Amino acid sequence: MPPSQLKQLKASLRETGVLGRQQSKKQKRQNAKSGVGAQNRNQRNAALQAIRDRFNPFEIRPTATRSKFETTTRDDAKSTKATGRRPGVTKSLGEERRRATLLQEMNSRNKVGGLVDRRFGENDPTMTPEERAAERFARESQRKMRKESMFNLEEDEEEFQLTHMGQSLTLDGTAVDDFDGGDLGGAESDDDEAPRKRKRVGEDDGDDEDFIDFGEDGEAQPERKKSKAEVMKEVIAKSKFHKAERQQAKEDDDDLREELDKELPDLFAALRGIKAPAKPEPPKQDLDTMNPERAAMLREPEGKDSEKEYDQRLKQLTFDKRSKPTDRTKTEEEKIEEEAQRLKKLEEDRQRRMRGEQLSDEEEEQESDKDSFFQGEEDEESEVDDAAAFGLHTQSYEPRPELAVEDEDDFVIDDDLVETRSNVSLSVDESDMEEKEVSGEEDGEESEEEDELINGMTLPTAGSATASTAVQVNQTADGKLAFTYPCPENHEEFLEIIENVSGQDLPTVIQRIRALHHPRLHPDNKAKLGRFAEILVEHVAYMANELAEPSFSIIENILRHVHSLAKTHPINVAMAFRARLREISEDRPLSLLPGDLVVLTGVSTVFPTSDHFHSVTTPAHLCLARFLGQCSLNGVSDFVTGAFASSLCLQYQSVAKRYMPEFINFTLNALCNLAPLDMPAKHLAFPLRKAHQSVKLAPIKKVMSRKLQFRDVKTVPSDAQAQEDLKFSLITLYVSLLDTASDLWADMSAFIEIFTPVHSVLTHIRQCFKNKLFAAGRDHVQATIDKIDSHLAQSRLARRPLLLHNHRPLAIKSAIPKFEENFNPDKHYDPDRERAENNRLKAEYKREKKGAMRELRKDASFIAREKLREKKERDAEYEKKYKRLIAEIQSEEGRAANEYEREKRGRAGKR
Amino acid sequence: MPSITNSSSKKRKVVKSTGAPSSKRRAVAEEDVFSETLSKVQQLEEQIAESRKYYNNIATLLSMLNVDNSAKKPELAVAVSLCRVFSRLMAAGNLSESSRDAENEKLVVAWLKERCSEYQNALLSIIREADSTSQVTALTLSMRLVKETVSHIEGANSSVWSGLFRNIIEALVEARDGEEVRGEFLTKFVKEYEDIRFHTFAQIAEYAGTRRKADIMEILISLLSACDEAPGSDHQIDVESFFAVADPNNKRLRTVHGHKRRAQDAWLAILRNNLSQAQRKALLRIMVHTIEPWFTRPELLMDFLTDSYNEGGATSLLALSGLFYLIQEKNLDYPQFYAKLYSLLDADLLHSKHRSRFFRLLNTFLASTHLPATLVASFIKRLSRLALNAPPSAIVVIVPFMYNLFKSHPTCTFMMHREIRDKDFAADIEKEGYEDPFDPLEADPTRTNAIESSIWEIESLQSHYHPNVAAIAKIISEQFTKQAYNLEDFLDHTYQGMVQGELGTGEKPLRKTPVVEYQIPKRIFTDRLLQEDGGLDSGAGCFMRGLWDFS
Repeated sequence: MPPSQLKQLKASLRETGVLGRQQSKKQKRQNAKSGVGAQNRNQRNAALQAIRDRFNPFEIRPTATRSKFETTTRDDAKSTKATGRRPGVTKSLGEERRRATLLQEMNSRNKVGGLVDRRFGENDPTMTPEERAAERFARESQRKMRKESMFNLEEDEEEFQLTHMGQSLTLDGTAVDDFDGGDLGGAESDDDEAPRKRKRVGEDDGDDEDFIDFGEDGEAQPERKKSKAEVMKEVIAKSKFHKAERQQAKEDDDDLREELDKELPDLFAALRGIKAPAKPEPPKQDLDTMNPERAAMLREPEGKDSEKEYDQRLKQLTFDKRSKPTDRTKTEEEKIEEEAQRLKKLEEDRQRRMRGEQLSDEEEEQESDKDSFFQGEEDEESEVDDAAAFGLHTQSYEPRPELAVEDEDDFVIDDDLVETRSNVSLSVDESDMEEKEVSGEEDGEESEEEDELINGMTLPTAGSATASTAVQVNQTADGKLAFTYPCPENHEEFLEIIENVSGQDLPTVIQRIRALHHPRLHPDNKAKLGRFAEILVEHVAYMANELAEPSFSIIENILRHVHSLAKTHPINVAMAFRARLREISEDRPLSLLPGDLVVLTGVSTVFPTSDHFHSVTTPAHLCLARFLGQCSLNGVSDFVTGAFASSLCLQYQSVAKRYMPEFINFTLNALCNLAPLDMPAKHLAFPLRKAHQSVKLAPIKKVMSRKLQFRDVKTVPSDAQAQEDLKFSLITLYVSLLDTASDLWADMSAFIEIFTPVHSVLTHIRQCFKNKLFAAGRDHVQATIDKIDSHLAQSRLARRPLLLHNHRPLAIKSAIPKFEENFNPDKHYDPDRERAENNRLKAEYKREKKGAMRELRKDASFIAREKLREKKERDAEYEKKYKRLIAEIQSEEGRAANEYEREKRGRAGKR
Repeated sequence: MPSITNSSSKKRKVVKSTGAPSSKRRAVAEEDVFSETLSKVQQLEEQIAESRKYYNNIATLLSMLNVDNSAKKPELAVAVSLCRVFSRLMAAGNLSESSRDAENEKLVVAWLKERCSEYQNALLSIIREADSTSQVTALTLSMRLVKETVSHIEGANSSVWSGLFRNIIEALVEARDGEEVRGEFLTKFVKEYEDIRFHTFAQIAEYAGTRRKADIMEILISLLSACDEAPGSDHQIDVESFFAVADPNNKRLRTVHGHKRRAQDAWLAILRNNLSQAQRKALLRIMVHTIEPWFTRPELLMDFLTDSYNEGGATSLLALSGLFYLIQEKNLDYPQFYAKLYSLLDADLLHSKHRSRFFRLLNTFLASTHLPATLVASFIKRLSRLALNAPPSAIVVIVPFMYNLFKSHPTCTFMMHREIRDKDFAADIEKEGYEDPFDPLEADPTRTNAIESSIWEIESLQSHYHPNVAAIAKIISEQFTKQAYNLEDFLDHTYQGMVQGELGTGEKPLRKTPVVEYQIPKRIFTDRLLQEDGGLDSGAGCFMRGLWDFS
């Protein structure tokens, strides 16, 4: 049988050394001195706590789950930690907290207002009243000492101090009962850092008689002995004086201001840099005639006024946008350099596109995308409303004939319309302003660029030329050419417009249409011009196809118009070109018309053919290549067309130098077909296509080479001699094409493979040209062969085995499973982040909900308990009262009974 | 057969009334004439049925058939009624003679037979010459006759098939504008009835045994190839569904093998005949799917296929698949197969329309990982050479194909990456350049030394004008992370498709604003403002202006 609880307790107390031998007094003193006592006390407390725990087994409750066997997957921290919880402690803690919060709330329910005691230490039960008072006083004096800065003017005004009976509480003063003062000052000690609060407190207590605010006048300090009424009087008097003074000053100010106002325009003029006219001397104020006081006052406010003005100006300036230095006029060299920089940047962009890299400025692209979007909208809009408004527009712009300038340079019109930088600032009239707002910034940017280009490239003379030529033109222009033309909606309309216009005047007409529909003039014009650009592209093809002798200077002119329009309407022009290409690829992929050739040439000038990918040039390339690769070879004319297409190929590749297999195939085929003798039948690297009718150069007559003409594409001369000449020229042309191609592709690693067949064909041609009838072409062929020979030799020397895979070798794929360090089965290793997050949130929500419910339940039971307690209290009170009353009554009754008894006895006694 | 009569007569009516815009009266008259003949024919027919004494009416009817000198416009009603007459006679046994019959009876039968053959000939000439409706009717009638003869006249089985049916086939083949009637024959008879198919094969085999003209061969080929597909080995020949009663002695008719045999004979006869180049190609094209299943002994095709394969060019390409079938299935040993295959890679291959077909096969042939690397390297090198002159659609096939080859034959990857370790050799190369060890003229793909070479050609194609092609060519210089490219995705590209891919079909807004050349050239075609530049033309496009005179 174990010993009794009491014995056990005693034993354990002794064991831990709580109960021990009584220490001697000396020892105690020593310990207290050395601080061992405190340490001992701590130790003893801990030991006592442990013993208490041990002897109260219900204090600690083991965890709900009983301990399980040790497994590898259980994390150690949890298993060791699980010592159990103390329901009693937590319960009492919860109870405590509720009493502090919920009970308060409950008690203050249905009650309004109340007092919050914020005095320092008021709620601190550990402080004795003396300590509290001392602390409050210390804080107050500290606050007074710590005046943040000597320039803090606010502080002065708001400063108040603790007083008692009108006397300030200072240490140097007479003895003060700090108890009373403490109560007042403690209010703000809670939050003494915020002067705002202090002020509020001051206002609250403002009606307190004891609390006097001397904030207004600092000099009240030395004259402390004055009574309050005196002080107030003084203050009133002073303020009256000041008011009068101010009124006086204001009158004077007004006079002065009027005068100054008069001078203001001069000041502005001076600011603008225009020499101001001599300022009239301000009328001298005869101060002498005034009384000196007033004069002084007048002078003083003047100074004040200027100060004020200065302040105002200063404020204005701080709010003003900081003035920036304007671009100064650039010198010629700088301009040239800038231009060079710009061109260099454009060239770099082109190079990047050629390599197929994305443009670095993505935003720009996005922006332009946006532009295109808007433009599309505009297009639609214009289509809707143009039909009605079209005629009106042309009418309204009639009285501007000076725009229709005729000049040998076609782009002069642009210059007139698009302001150059020099005159853009001042002469913008209102309509232009509006226009600018409407058309947005992108337009301005673009047009500026265009304008700049036109300035730099095509038209060195600016507005002056326009002015001079305008007069000239008005005199010389024949009356037939109208000054205004409607902007055509489709090609038919355009053809109608130019029906009566001679070919030479066509550029002028186009120019006038462009001028009349400049985007600045009407928001719809941008769309209209876009449409017009498309029509022009169509017209170029039309001209080359339909007209017997198309004038190339006019086509060139139109193409240049198209190009300049393409700068503002890239989408429209590109779509127009793409439409042409689509037509080619659908209707006649293998038999190009002259118009198609011109369009393809136009593509090469308007769009950068060197781009890695381009929405117009890439299909154009394909069209050309398809033609060269698959076209039917019927007669000489096909070879002429092919020659043109081949030349275009090289033109396209002149910068990017990309390889076109079809070009080589076609050229060699053509040479084999045109050569006077058949190629020896041997292994050819390219597929040989025979022409349906022989186009061999006949070795009959002496032939001469000539420069091929574009019209050869259309008509083959019927004359036999001319035809032979043509064939001979074709051979020469093809040879020179190969010559150029060998230059272009000299750096290719497969140059040898590409040009060995070329070499053999050329050698064959040379063989054929041994005939003296063909002497004219001999040197040319020989030169080309020599060139290719040298290129071949060079390329042989430069040939190295390929080293394409210098990159880091691929890692061998590992089959090791992904191993989780510190795997925890409780944790969710969900690879799907979103789902994992979701689950986590759900679990948290559930936990919180449970917790909240538990808390609420406990709150309810607490409230019920409290109510019960209150009721019990009330009942007890009532009971007590009741008992008291009963007792009272009873005692009274008893007394009455006694009296009665006495009386009775008395009477009985009397009897 | 009244339905046919009705329909045909109706048709005629329709044709007449719409075709010839005649006056009302005349139309009425014609109508009258027509109904008159119709009633007359009916009357004659009924009389024949009534009594034998009206047998002469057959002759009358035959004369009314209107096919004496040319069968262009036969009276179909008459033909139909005659068919009925003869069918009835056959069913009644009036057309079969027995030894017991009296002499005059025999005379009658002989006379009737004569008329019958006369009628048959008339029908055949209709098939040969008349318009398509009549042809179809005549075909139906003659097939009906065949059926009646077989079922009612005993012992006539083989004679009918080799006689009348054979004539029908001949007439069909030689028919003028006979597409429709042949189609009718195929759908109504050959595909319906297996015995008809059987006999058709037999007759065609016989017919094609002699040399025929090219157009006839064309017809024969189309007839044969349109026949049903070959029955599987587990297929049961259903005697019940035969067109005519089967000859019990003819065992072949009842087995699949027998049918196949006939078909095989027919095809062989055609293959042995003189074929034009186009027909040969056509045959090769349908070889695997249509012809070969019919063959019980496919090795019989060997001669034809090897001959075609040796011919070279497109024919060889087409023969490849058939040959491969034999090699694969029938264990055909074709010596020098790969050498021959290698020789097929010539300059025209990539431009031929059979390109995708060839690459599919080539993919199969080179799929084996047991092929020597030298051989694979030769193919790679040859293909890359050819790619230099190939259209973009071919290049996009070649490069992924090569990739797959490199992936399955890692030894060949030296062709992409070759580091020279030997110091002396490296110095040598540095000085004189690397001589390509590849011998393009070597015919044997194992001796070309291609594995020592590099594919500079593909590297050059990385700067192809078409961005997509260039991008594809770049895969050989990137890491080979992909297991293999699915060749099928690259096979069927064309210029048209590529252009359309770029341009789209409709006016769709561009995704990106196209960049415009920043510089407007001073001149495009002419010598405009040339003096300003000091007379020297050096701007953009000067190349064109130098070569061409625009005026």
